Amino acid sequence: MTNRNHHIVIIEPSSVIYEGMFAIMENSDERFNVVRLEKLDEIPAYTLRKAVDIFIVSPVLIQNNLKTFNTIRDSLPQSKWIGIVYSYFDQQQLSVFDETISIYDTPDAIISLICRVVEHHEDDEQGNKERLTEREIEVLKLLTAGNSNKEIADQLNISIHTVISHRKNLSQKTGIKSVSGLTIYAVVKNIITLDNFRE
Amino acid sequence: MVQTKKMYVLPAVKMSELISENPYLMLMLEHFGIDLVVGDKTVRELCTETGISEGLFLSFANLFNGFQPSTTVQYSFADLKPIILFLKNSHLYYLEEKYPQIRKYIAQMFEINEQSAMVMVEKFFDQYFAEVTEHLHYEDQVVFNYVNKLLECAETKQAGNLPDNYSVRVYQEHHDDIEEKIEDLKNLLLKHLPSHNDQQIRRKLLFSLFELEYDLNIHTQIEDTILIPLVEKIEQFISTLHDK
Repeated sequence: MTNRNHHIVIIEPSSVIYEGMFAIMENSDERFNVVRLEKLDEIPAYTLRKAVDIFIVSPVLIQNNLKTFNTIRDSLPQSKWIGIVYSYFDQQQLSVFDETISIYDTPDAIISLICRVVEHHEDDEQGNKERLTEREIEVLKLLTAGNSNKEIADQLNISIHTVISHRKNLSQKTGIKSVSGLTIYAVVKNIITLDNFRE
Repeated sequence: MVQTKKMYVLPAVKMSELISENPYLMLMLEHFGIDLVVGDKTVRELCTETGISEGLFLSFANLFNGFQPSTTVQYSFADLKPIILFLKNSHLYYLEEKYPQIRKYIAQMFEINEQSAMVMVEKFFDQYFAEVTEHLHYEDQVVFNYVNKLLECAETKQAGNLPDNYSVRVYQEHHDDIEEKIEDLKNLLLKHLPSHNDQQIRRKLLFSLFELEYDLNIHTQIEDTILIPLVEKIEQFISTLHDK
């Protein structure tokens, strides 16, 4: 594992289970930042501010909110999802997760599962780290020229949803979120010239 | 909950020991208006001397040490005064010390590193600084004045002349994230902007950005987790006065 702290969000209504998970992670040798959120609805606002490596979610919360959950999950392609299982759940319900943890698992098993997910996740990132895809570069160019998501979607003939996901990847890869910051990045990397920038 | 290797601050610990472990606590004292020469005083002694409640002081100090404020602490309306003082002093620190310092470093870096992107960095920062200044002035002039008025009302037990349609909720919406662009700037400097013999000045600039970010992060948490809930409580209290 890298030395980076792994950012983990737990969404679990039971305090007993949350505190237990927290203690297990705290007592491990790995470095985790653990945050608890109450509801699925809080995820979008939270992820605007912080990139989350893993969400650990109680399937109970998804039961009647499958649609909301899928939308949120699809909007965060960089995050992994783990379910905490403590009673019988339908297999189909659990298939929305990348992995599941049972509350009867040993602490070691839980930590090693989390590490495996994180590592796997980093391998994914490693392959295309910093390297922008052609599509992302196109989005970046249009973005720095002052186009809105809608305008970019229209010009590239893709959905706004896809534009947003490209933008998320851009920010993840470059570490820069604001359009003005991305503009500087694009100039430094010769993706656009300063003349493009001066209207 | 950010995990931390720092100690959890308790009333019996000496302030000087805490500062040796985490020098950022000097900023906390400064924002509270407490003299840095703390001698051998413990946290409890400092609280008694300055009239700041222990609960509040501990929450703030622990935030600096990386612990989320405990949800069981009950703050009183009287805590609002030191909170506002703290936030106002932080604003002065940002506006009069930290931002000008960062601006100066950027200009110095530009003298050494003349690539065209540096012009954009200057512009980026100036625009950002203008946004921040506006936000902080809004807090100073609108939000904090509003809180002071609420306090007056609560003390005199009379719902006096409060602005009709303002509540702390409006502020919550106004409350945009000013940390994001600092992060952008840090990443540009660390990952993307090629260096041209600017190592020293770049390092100073980065240190400065990290310091600012550290303080801003705590500032936001204080506003979100302590100030806003407390103001909502006092708003509720005053609305019950109305009903009587």
